[in-house]
Amino acid sequence: MSEVKVTKRDRNVIINPLVTCQPLGAMYAMYAMYAISGISHGLPLVHGSQGCSTFVRYGFSRHFREPSEIAVTSLHEDAAVFGGRKNLISGLGNLAARFHPDLIGVVTTCSSEIIGDDVNGFIKTAQEEIKDKLGEKAAEKIKIVPINTPSFVEHHFRGYDNAIKSLVDHVTLDPTNSNDKINIIPGIVNPGDIREIKHIMAMMGLESIMLTDTSDPFDSPLRPGATQVKPYYPKGGTTVQELEDSSNSLGTISLCHYGAQAAHSLEKKYNVPSVVGPFPIGLQNTDQFLRNLKNMTDSDIPDELLDERGLLVDSMADITSRYLFGKTAAIYGDPDMVTGISRFICELGMTPQLVCTGVENKEFVEEMKKVAQEANGIVEIMYGQDLRALEVQLQEEPVDVIIGHSDGRLIDRDLQIPLVRVGFPVYDWVGYHRVPIVGYRGGINLLDRITNTILGEYYDPVHWKLQQ
Amino acid sequence: MPYDLFEVDKAIPERKKHIYIKKSDDPEAEIPSCNTKTIPGCMTERGCAFAGVKGVITGAVKDAAHVIHSPVGCTAYGYGTKRYPTTSSMPDGSEFPLENFNLKYIMGTDLKESDVVFGGMKKLRQSILEAAKEFPEANAIYAYATCTTGLIGDDMDGVVKELSEELGKDVVAFNAPGFSGPTQSKGHHVGNHTLFQHLVGSKEPPQTTPYDVNLIGEYNIDGDLWILKPYFEEMGINILSTFTGDCCHDEICWMHRAKLSLVRCQRSATYIADLIEKEYGVPYMKVDFFGPRYCAENLRAIGKYFGLEDKAEKVIQDRMAKIKPELEFYKEKLQGKKVWVFSGGPKNWHLPRPLEECLGMEVVAVSTMFEHEDGYEKIKQRAKENTVIVDDPNSLEMEEIIEKYQPDIMLSGVKEKYLAHKLQLPCVLIHSYENGPYIGFEGFINLAKDIYASIYNPVWNLVEFQDEVKEEPLELKELSAEEKSTLSAK
Repeated sequence: MSEVKVTKRDRNVIINPLVTCQPLGAMYAMYAMYAISGISHGLPLVHGSQGCSTFVRYGFSRHFREPSEIAVTSLHEDAAVFGGRKNLISGLGNLAARFHPDLIGVVTTCSSEIIGDDVNGFIKTAQEEIKDKLGEKAAEKIKIVPINTPSFVEHHFRGYDNAIKSLVDHVTLDPTNSNDKINIIPGIVNPGDIREIKHIMAMMGLESIMLTDTSDPFDSPLRPGATQVKPYYPKGGTTVQELEDSSNSLGTISLCHYGAQAAHSLEKKYNVPSVVGPFPIGLQNTDQFLRNLKNMTDSDIPDELLDERGLLVDSMADITSRYLFGKTAAIYGDPDMVTGISRFICELGMTPQLVCTGVENKEFVEEMKKVAQEANGIVEIMYGQDLRALEVQLQEEPVDVIIGHSDGRLIDRDLQIPLVRVGFPVYDWVGYHRVPIVGYRGGINLLDRITNTILGEYYDPVHWKLQQ
Repeated sequence: MPYDLFEVDKAIPERKKHIYIKKSDDPEAEIPSCNTKTIPGCMTERGCAFAGVKGVITGAVKDAAHVIHSPVGCTAYGYGTKRYPTTSSMPDGSEFPLENFNLKYIMGTDLKESDVVFGGMKKLRQSILEAAKEFPEANAIYAYATCTTGLIGDDMDGVVKELSEELGKDVVAFNAPGFSGPTQSKGHHVGNHTLFQHLVGSKEPPQTTPYDVNLIGEYNIDGDLWILKPYFEEMGINILSTFTGDCCHDEICWMHRAKLSLVRCQRSATYIADLIEKEYGVPYMKVDFFGPRYCAENLRAIGKYFGLEDKAEKVIQDRMAKIKPELEFYKEKLQGKKVWVFSGGPKNWHLPRPLEECLGMEVVAVSTMFEHEDGYEKIKQRAKENTVIVDDPNSLEMEEIIEKYQPDIMLSGVKEKYLAHKLQLPCVLIHSYENGPYIGFEGFINLAKDIYASIYNPVWNLVEFQDEVKEEPLELKELSAEEKSTLSAK
């Protein structure tokens, strides 16, 4: 019944990339590192040119509409010639003295990797200097984690993976007593998604350690009375203590394949069992997430959670056959999100006719082939591709609806195929970072989002079809 | 001493010389130290030279294909950043077939580790050829160096020279890798010189008139150019080339044929006006169109230059009559409100006086990301006594400025906006604007409206939970019927 066609980019020039470079992923992960007291926290320090931090801050700000404080070592010509030693050491010192963080993640870039800076060595020197300046006690409190993210290797998903792994490798302590928690590596998802995962786990009576938790830092309340300023730090995030404690967890679930490194590292070093994927979108993938939790913890799936499942099933029964059946979709972006959404699309009776990711990853192709078995029709799998390739393909073989982030908004306009916004970045419409698409409740949101888009585009012009 | 060491800067005392408090009896030379390297780890708001050239100067050109010679990151970040809308109209009356081409596409050489080791020239060549094939409509190809290609030393000039001949269209290389210069300003500089050196003088315009001008440093942010254009048209002045808002590649090539250059953004584009004057004898005039007074003064000056004083006067009177009622409304509402202007560069001297004179606001702080000495001189000249003038403020200083100077509103960029909001300070974007355009007479009303909407946002009265219901009703803004009709007429 199903058939797949797999294509890779057939030109070198990349046109409207679907991925960006490693440091962004690392900053995404790093930004969610905060400490428990609300006094001292964590910060990314990008060892590179100012653009390397500014562009990322710009991207985070317009997506989340939140501050994103990311420091940079400001490499200039002299550093290109003589190395970035001075910049990194003084940058760490300045951050330590003025921002009093608990943790600094040193994120490398093209320039610092090409120059060949001895980041580990410089960190040691910086730690000595910080000790001299701030005293031993204060200096010891500041963890400094090197995160190697050469931008010319792979993409931001790898950067995320490298960052989480570095955090675990450098901060996690040897296990003591079980904490009965589950480590979750959520991937590059929205605050709403992380909150939904926590909600599911809370319903099952489980506690999590998020590696890392972007939910509150990237969606934080405006409450001057309860906000820490000078320096401003948002509430929430994963604490250093939690990170240290992650070796005591019952297991690690990485919701995405690109978060597997840290999960495997925890398993190898500390015997914390790990499961990778699936990204819990739709019924079957969320079911699997619940089964994974159940297997790791022996906890029951409560009735209330099955009711939530029932609400999604009910919505699907009520809506999909009339409005969605047989409709085709093109889905692009984050490889795990794409496979997750594709599977859900199949559950809705639609066909994921075209799926596209910028990641050049065989795993994605294999995962998609599995999903395609549930699809009614041919699935074209584009990997290592870009948005231009998607556009050209859609010109030849259009679909009913496109699902992806805001960078596809002009394709929507020019090809007149509506775009359902999901993932990162969504900067042109509001609220998408708050609303989950994972879990059963996220499934309902995504179902409504897709259906209303189809109603607006295909039904509304024939308005009497919407009468009842 | 007119310089202030902030509390938050105790650990980096070298910041002191960047924070100057305006005193009229100071010698002229007292301005903040500027255009110097950033202190590592200070949480600067500055960007890189690549952003300066692609993001500011060339990204507005409607018919050029942009190829970033970089690993994927810089290409991804260069996409759809600044709000530079374009039309499809070309100077010869034809239509450029790819709508929104400059906003819709960005290309890159997608360098990998092996290219870093063995050089990226082959990929640069291949990518440019592929870009030309993918978009044969593009009239030129602009290629950009980045940190990686700057460090591995790729000779981009050699490659583009060959390809220009091979493709029969201009292929230009911009050598402003991210690490060059202290700020994005370096990229502006390189962009100006590169475009001048390779393009200006290489083509002839389809026709010329005695009233041809170059409008330099006008990038059509959120449609600014489209506000200014009718002024010129009504005055009988022909904008032969815009550098570079809504312009096409060829317009840059024939800039030498204008009778006068007008320099709008004097930080990013005085360079090319200067070069054109030296090489081709086209004089230039620095202009300022922000706020009604400066706009009127400068239109008069341009009118005088061409002997079109009456026509200039007519434009001014017509627009002033149009905006007067609204201007008065906003002036009444914004009277005495304190403002902090934090732009990249020139808006720090464009805006303070108009905000004060036309809207009755009080400018308490001014700061820039990348202004140079000449800019700070102008800022100082236009700033009132005791205004704090800060070069490259970092986010901790931002917090201290807000605490010390208690502005009611900040005019700034998206990176700063949400931190300001967390500190209960409304913020209006002035790099890419909120609901612009902000230039010219009508644009100033848009700015005033956005400032008004931000300060009078009802949410600021509802920020904290109150244990008891207040006796007094909340001071929610209610418009009179007259005000409503004025606003809805916009």
